[in-house]
Amino acid sequence: MAEQHEPGERSRSTLEIDRRRFIQAGLAFTGALAAGSIFHSSDISAAVPREMTNTGPDQIPRRPLGKTGEQVSIIGLGGYHLGTMRSLDDAVRLVQEAVDAGVTFFDNAWEYNDHRSEEWMGRALQGRRDKVFLMTKICTHGRDKKVAMRQLEESLARLRTDHLDLWQIHEVIYENDPDLHFAKGGVIEALDEAKKQGKVRFVGFTGHKNPAIHLKMLAHNYPFDTVQMPLNCFDGTYRSFEQQVLPEVNRRGIGALGMKSLGGDGQPILHGIVSAEEALRYAMSLPVATTISGMDSLEVLRQNLMIGRGFKPMLPEEMEAVRQRCKSFAADGHLELYKSTKKYDGRVGREQHGYPPPEQLPL
Amino acid sequence: MNMNRRDFLKVGAAIVPGVSAANAAVLSYAASGKQAPPTAGKGDMLYRRLGHTGVLVSALGVGGHHLGDFPSVDEAVRLVHEAIDAGVTFFDNCWEYYNGKTENILGRALKGRRDKVFLMTKVCTHGRSGRLALQMLEMSLRRLQTDHLDLWQIHGIVYDNDPELAYAKGGVLEALDQAKKEGKTRFVGFSGHKDPAFHLKMLELGYPFDTVQMPLNPFDASFHSFEKQVLPEVNRRGMAGLGMKSMGGTAWAIKKGIVKPGELLRYAMSLPVATTISGMDSLEVLHQNLRVVRGFQPMTESEMDALRARCAPTAADGRFEPYKVSLRYDNPMTRLPHGFPIDSTQREVAEMLEKGDAPWLPPRTMPPA
Repeated sequence: MAEQHEPGERSRSTLEIDRRRFIQAGLAFTGALAAGSIFHSSDISAAVPREMTNTGPDQIPRRPLGKTGEQVSIIGLGGYHLGTMRSLDDAVRLVQEAVDAGVTFFDNAWEYNDHRSEEWMGRALQGRRDKVFLMTKICTHGRDKKVAMRQLEESLARLRTDHLDLWQIHEVIYENDPDLHFAKGGVIEALDEAKKQGKVRFVGFTGHKNPAIHLKMLAHNYPFDTVQMPLNCFDGTYRSFEQQVLPEVNRRGIGALGMKSLGGDGQPILHGIVSAEEALRYAMSLPVATTISGMDSLEVLRQNLMIGRGFKPMLPEEMEAVRQRCKSFAADGHLELYKSTKKYDGRVGREQHGYPPPEQLPL
Repeated sequence: MNMNRRDFLKVGAAIVPGVSAANAAVLSYAASGKQAPPTAGKGDMLYRRLGHTGVLVSALGVGGHHLGDFPSVDEAVRLVHEAIDAGVTFFDNCWEYYNGKTENILGRALKGRRDKVFLMTKVCTHGRSGRLALQMLEMSLRRLQTDHLDLWQIHGIVYDNDPELAYAKGGVLEALDQAKKEGKTRFVGFSGHKDPAFHLKMLELGYPFDTVQMPLNPFDASFHSFEKQVLPEVNRRGMAGLGMKSMGGTAWAIKKGIVKPGELLRYAMSLPVATTISGMDSLEVLHQNLRVVRGFQPMTESEMDALRARCAPTAADGRFEPYKVSLRYDNPMTRLPHGFPIDSTQREVAEMLEKGDAPWLPPRTMPPA
C-alpha cells in the first residue's frame, strides 16, 4: 500500500468498510505453529526459513532483514497514507502509537503527497528516531546522481535526521528504468556515494509493475540490501512477484519487503473475496522481512497490530487454498491495478517518462 | 496457402474488377510472408491478398471508430463514399464503438455499395458466452444493413485470461463457427492491442482464424513487439495480418516532432500485412493517406531500421503506445465484464452512462474457477 498514487484516487471509505467488516469477523486464527518456529511457503523452493524473535503474545514479532544483521518488525508503517491524514497531530499520534506498540519499520518516499509524508513522519519521530528503522525512497525516475543527492538532503531535512537506515530507488516500473538507473552517472552511483558519506546504511529498490523489470534490476548484480514488491494472494497467480522475484531475492540473501497486501485499494475485501485479516496474514506468511501497510487511522493501525501480535504464519496448505480461491479473480489483473493499468504510476515518474499526468491518463 | 497464383488471380479479379495488371504483382507478396510489398502504379489503389482466404483487399482500410468522431453523420458518410471511390475496399468496425453509432453510420454509407467493400466488424463478449456473441452479431448486421459480414473478429483480446475465456466451452469461438455455418460471415479473426503474449496464446490454442489484427508501427518494433513476436507467426500460419495504430494510437509522437504521419503509414504498409486500418476523422486525413498509397514504394529494410532506431529511445518506456500500458484504449464495455474500473474522463464513458448503461450487458459473471 505504500507506493505513490494520487490523493483522492484510493477509496478511504473502502478501507474503513473493510476494516469494520474485519473487526466484526473477529480474530479466529487457526494457525497452529508454535511461536518462533520456522515457517515455509509452498511453491517457494528458495524460501529462506526465517526465525522470528519478539514472539510474545503481546509483541509484534521481528525478522532479520536479509544479510544486514538488522531485525525489523513484521509490520511496517507505510508513509504514503500517513500524508493523507487529516492533520499533523493525527499523523503524530499514529506514528507514536505504532512505535510504542513495537512497530520499527517506517516507510516513506521523497515524492509522497508533495513531501508532506516525510515532513509529518519527521515531526512524529522526533525523540524516537533511535527506536525505528527508517526508510525513504529516491525519485530520480531516470535522472542523474546529482538529482538523487539533492533529494537525499531534502529527505534528511524533512525527516529531521542525519541518516537513513534504508534508501530505496522508488517506482522501478518502466521497462527502461533498469537501464537508466545503471547508466553512468545514474542513481546507482548516488547509492554508493550516500553509503560512503554515512548518510545511508542500506540500499534497495521498489516497484509495483512487472516481475521482469525487478529481475532486470537484479541481473546487474548490484549488492542491494532490500527489494520491495507487491505481495498478496492475487499476485500469487498473476504476473507473480511471489513466484518470480521473491525466491531470487531470498536466494541472494536480500531482505524482501512486501507491499499491497490488500491489492492496493482493498477492492478484493470489499467484494468479499478475502477478508482483510486473511489477506494480511497471507502476505505476512511469505518469506519477507516485513509487510508495509498503509494506515490512515488509529483504527487501521490497531487492527493491524491485532493481527501482528503473536503472529502465527499460515500453513503452506492454507496459503495454497487462499491462492486457489483467488486465482480466477486474479487472472485478468483487475484486482491488481498497479500491474495492469497506469493508475498507481506516480506523477514525477510520469513526467520523467513523458506520460500525461493522472488527470489526463487516470487509468 | 493452398491456392496457387493463378487461382488467386482469378479470385482477385472476381473480387476487385478494377484491379490493374500492375497490382497483380502484389499478389505474390503476401504468400511469401516476408518480402517487402511491391509498389503500386501511379494513381492506383494497392490491393493485397488476405492470407489463405485468397480475397483481395485494399492495403489501406478505413477504421470504424473514427467515423464516430465526425461532427455530422453526413460528413462521415461522405468520407466512406470518397474512400470507396478511391478504391478502398476494407472497412473496419465494431459492435461497441460509440454504443453502435459507428456501425449505424457505416450501414447508412454502404447503402447501394455493400458489394463494393470487404466489410468487417467485431464482437464484444469479453469473456462472455457465445450466445451473447450471436445476439451481438444480429445487432451488427441490422445496424450495418446487410445480411452478411465478410469478416467477424473477436474484439479486445487485451486481458491475460481472454484467450482462456474465448476458448472455454460455450464461449465466443463457438459463435464464430456457427456464424460461418449460417453464412452470416465469410471469415473470422481476432484483434487486440495489449500484449503479444495474449495474441500468441490465442494462436497456440489452435483455432483456424483467417485474420489477426494488431498494432504495428515503428515504436512497437522495440516495445512489447507485435511486429517481432506475432506477425511472423501469423504469416507462418497463412493467416492475414491486419495492422492498426500506425500512428501509435495517439498523435503524441507526431506532436513531439519525432515522426511524421506519412512515414508512419508508409512504415506500417511496408510490413507483411494484408491491410493497414487507419482511423480517419476528416477528408483531409483520407487524402493524406491516399497520397501515401498511390505510387506506394515500400521502405527498404535499411530505411525501416533507421526509423526504428529513431523511435527506440522513446519507445522504450511505452510512452507513445498507451494502449499497451494503460486502460486508455480498452473500451469501457471491454472493462466492465472484466471488472476493471471505467474512466469518467472518457467521452465514450459519458455517452454510455447517458444512455443508462447497456441493458444487454449482463451482470459481471465471474470467470470459471
